[in-house]
Amino acid sequence: MALRVQFENNNDIGCFARLTNAYCLVAVGGSEAFYSAFEAELADHIPVIHASVAGCRIIGRLCVGNKHGLLLPSTTNDQELLHIRNSLPESIVVQRVEERLSALGNCIACNDYAALVHTDLDRETEEIIADTLQVETFRQTLAGEALVGSYCYFTNQGGVVHPMCRVEDLDELSGLLQVPLVAGTVNRGSEVIGAGIVANDWLGYCGFATTATELSVVESILKLRTWADNNAYDSSGAFKSALIDALA
Amino acid sequence: MTVGGLKHIQVVPEALDLIDIVLSQTQRKTPTVVHPGYAITRIRTFYIRKVRYAQSCFHERLTKILSDFPILEELHPFYADILNVLYDRDHYKLALGQVSRIRSLVDSFARDYVRQLKYADSLYRAKCLKRAALGRMCTTVKHLRPALAYLEQVRQHMARLPSIDPMTRTLLIAGYPNVGKSSFLNCVTNAKVDVQPYAFTTKSLFVGHMDYQYLRWQVIDTPGLLDHALDERNTIEMQSITALAHLQAAILFFVDPSETCGYAIAQQLALLRSLQPLFADKPLFVVCNKTDLGWEQQLDPATWTAIRETAEQVGAELMTASTMGDDGYASVFAVRNRACERLLALRVSLKVSGRQTDSVLNRLHVAEPKLVRTPQIPASVLERRQALRDADDALNQNTAPELACTLSTSRAGRKTERELERDHGGAGVYSMDWRKHYDLTDPAWRYDYIPEIVDGKNIADYVDPEIHQRLLALEQEETMRQSMLSDAVGDEPRADVPVDQPSDTDVALIREKARNQRRLRQQQAARDRTQRPKLSRKALLKVRKTSQAVAKRPWGRAVDPSTTKQQTRKAAHSAPVVYRTRAVSDQSLVPAGLRDVVQARHAQKLVQRTLRRAFSGREHRQGESDRFIGTRKPHHLFAGKMSLGTRSHR
Repeated sequence: MALRVQFENNNDIGCFARLTNAYCLVAVGGSEAFYSAFEAELADHIPVIHASVAGCRIIGRLCVGNKHGLLLPSTTNDQELLHIRNSLPESIVVQRVEERLSALGNCIACNDYAALVHTDLDRETEEIIADTLQVETFRQTLAGEALVGSYCYFTNQGGVVHPMCRVEDLDELSGLLQVPLVAGTVNRGSEVIGAGIVANDWLGYCGFATTATELSVVESILKLRTWADNNAYDSSGAFKSALIDALA
Repeated sequence: MTVGGLKHIQVVPEALDLIDIVLSQTQRKTPTVVHPGYAITRIRTFYIRKVRYAQSCFHERLTKILSDFPILEELHPFYADILNVLYDRDHYKLALGQVSRIRSLVDSFARDYVRQLKYADSLYRAKCLKRAALGRMCTTVKHLRPALAYLEQVRQHMARLPSIDPMTRTLLIAGYPNVGKSSFLNCVTNAKVDVQPYAFTTKSLFVGHMDYQYLRWQVIDTPGLLDHALDERNTIEMQSITALAHLQAAILFFVDPSETCGYAIAQQLALLRSLQPLFADKPLFVVCNKTDLGWEQQLDPATWTAIRETAEQVGAELMTASTMGDDGYASVFAVRNRACERLLALRVSLKVSGRQTDSVLNRLHVAEPKLVRTPQIPASVLERRQALRDADDALNQNTAPELACTLSTSRAGRKTERELERDHGGAGVYSMDWRKHYDLTDPAWRYDYIPEIVDGKNIADYVDPEIHQRLLALEQEETMRQSMLSDAVGDEPRADVPVDQPSDTDVALIREKARNQRRLRQQQAARDRTQRPKLSRKALLKVRKTSQAVAKRPWGRAVDPSTTKQQTRKAAHSAPVVYRTRAVSDQSLVPAGLRDVVQARHAQKLVQRTLRRAFSGREHRQGESDRFIGTRKPHHLFAGKMSLGTRSHR
């Protein structure tokens, strides 16, 4: 199931939330509407917590994590770190990273097994990522963009990448990450996938402007459907022809 | 030009309004004061400016009209034809042509009169020329009255045209009047088109939108068509013909075999045949409507065959429908789905063969890995999913989606933060309890106060993750040591005697040390409190040395400095002597270079006297920042032959 949500009239929800299979961080907004969109679906299963990083609301772009751990930039306050540490269970490692590229969410994309990292990231940081998040790391660019965290989003079941990614690159990336990948857009043609999608292995959220076609691409590639056929790409040509007619 | 271009044309003023606007603008935006005494060049410039300004105002306004209205040749043929049908292409072009001609006339008038104004030899002549120039411009613009009135009407009508995108996926509904076209549109889209039981209820094109197969579709309802020659068709019918001719759409031709529409089937089929040239290369469906009237049973087999043969002849697919909802709209949606599928297939095949898909091939490709990662879904989620699936199996398939929603949002009585916020004053008033969900070993710790800064130190810098282990280790070590000690001392340790008892002399020494330290602290604090500039460490040492040297002089301190303060205090306790503290402080007041206390006091007195004198006098109260008037009445300003009051200044 993928839902459309908005953060204070802003469709880039990936900036304001970080969702993993073990926890969910949500930015503090003017009202609790955004938080409750996550809380209503997730709070029975995983902790859904309010958080801020360095006093900012763009936590989704500043931190990165998976079910094993959470990496925070060096700009995080002690109080914020304390709050996050207290809110998350003991099993999740929370680590503050001294890294020049402090928007970790933009520079790193990961699931529970593998991570794509910015090509200019420190070697120490890469080691910390591998240790804390327990993932294999790959230095990659996507369609010429170094900010891999902004231009792709993937879970353990699949992922969406920058729409200008070539077929060969898709196959190579899919071989590295071992998840099915497709090039796509969110939020009515936006290429910043990381800002438009927030998802884990069983639930996804997209920006409010996401079209029906985009939403169904996201749902089917991330395998979020519980009721209909899980993979629309295989089931019939209808989905493909809809894509062709909408895009070409 | 896009559809939006037709809708954002600025209001066209009437000719007289346009004249008023331009004249008053000229009056407001150009200088108004001129005198006959001015140099003639200045007068000429004044009037030339007026003429030029009026001309540019007219030019600007007319150009705006010309650029706003679309050029028919640049529009999509569908829109060009619709505009032709509705507003008459010739009339439209003539009106715009007239505007353009008047614009150039205004320009040429302005040019002529500016040329003449350059030779004007008086203000009166210049003014007359200006009047003539503006007058001729206004007269010629007045001739635009019918053209501008027409253009304004066209503008208003265009703004109300339906926003039809000629390039997108479209279903087009056509047929005789009163066969149920508008009812079909109302069934499949959210549009609310007026449906009435008489012919020509729909007098223009109507658009509705629907979702099917992840895509947005446009459904167009057209006015009814009668079977007669093209040149006999009226404006209402011509709109339908235009849509049929120019839109690449799936066409649903509605037929009413019950003949309740008032037209015989033969007529309707004749229309279908006569329109055949317009259906080329488009998915065509003949929809026999109004099955709810039961015509299927009563229909003459010959008529039915005629319908089928005609449909085959024009290459149409034959379907039946009822828009009254007696079959739960199943037939309507069957027609819709079939039409959508055929149109989509056609569009896709055109796009694929036209190599338009090359640029989006990567978007269609799913890169599949060899390995499959196991999803990390918590057991609780899987349980919930299974429960939903079971509930779904137990209930009717049709109600499953609603049930799914209700179950997934049931949260066992827990209120979401949004509900709490609503109950407690709404956004901006309610502030969430951040610590509510803290996951701590002991929930009682949740609201413990943890300061950020203690004694100027950030406690986060002193956090030690292994503090518990360290404490345990220390305690263990202590017990171990104590047990070792007790073993060494004897069979049982004596609890009342401490392990090592200090002697009396030790105690005295320690106290002495502590007292010294306290005194030093106090002295330091006193020094810190003073406002005076502080001495450097080196200078301070020098001062100390000097004061010690002074204290050693015979006229100095009576008490030997080597004796400790403790001893003097002891003496004070033993014999209550009244000390004059002044005497003690005097010792330190003898500055270097003076002989003794007496001399020092004398020197101080002298200093005080000097200071008193220096600051008590009147003359010394004036400073350099004071206002200074040297001479109150300077002679050169007040001596002279002129009497007072003839000049305000010299």
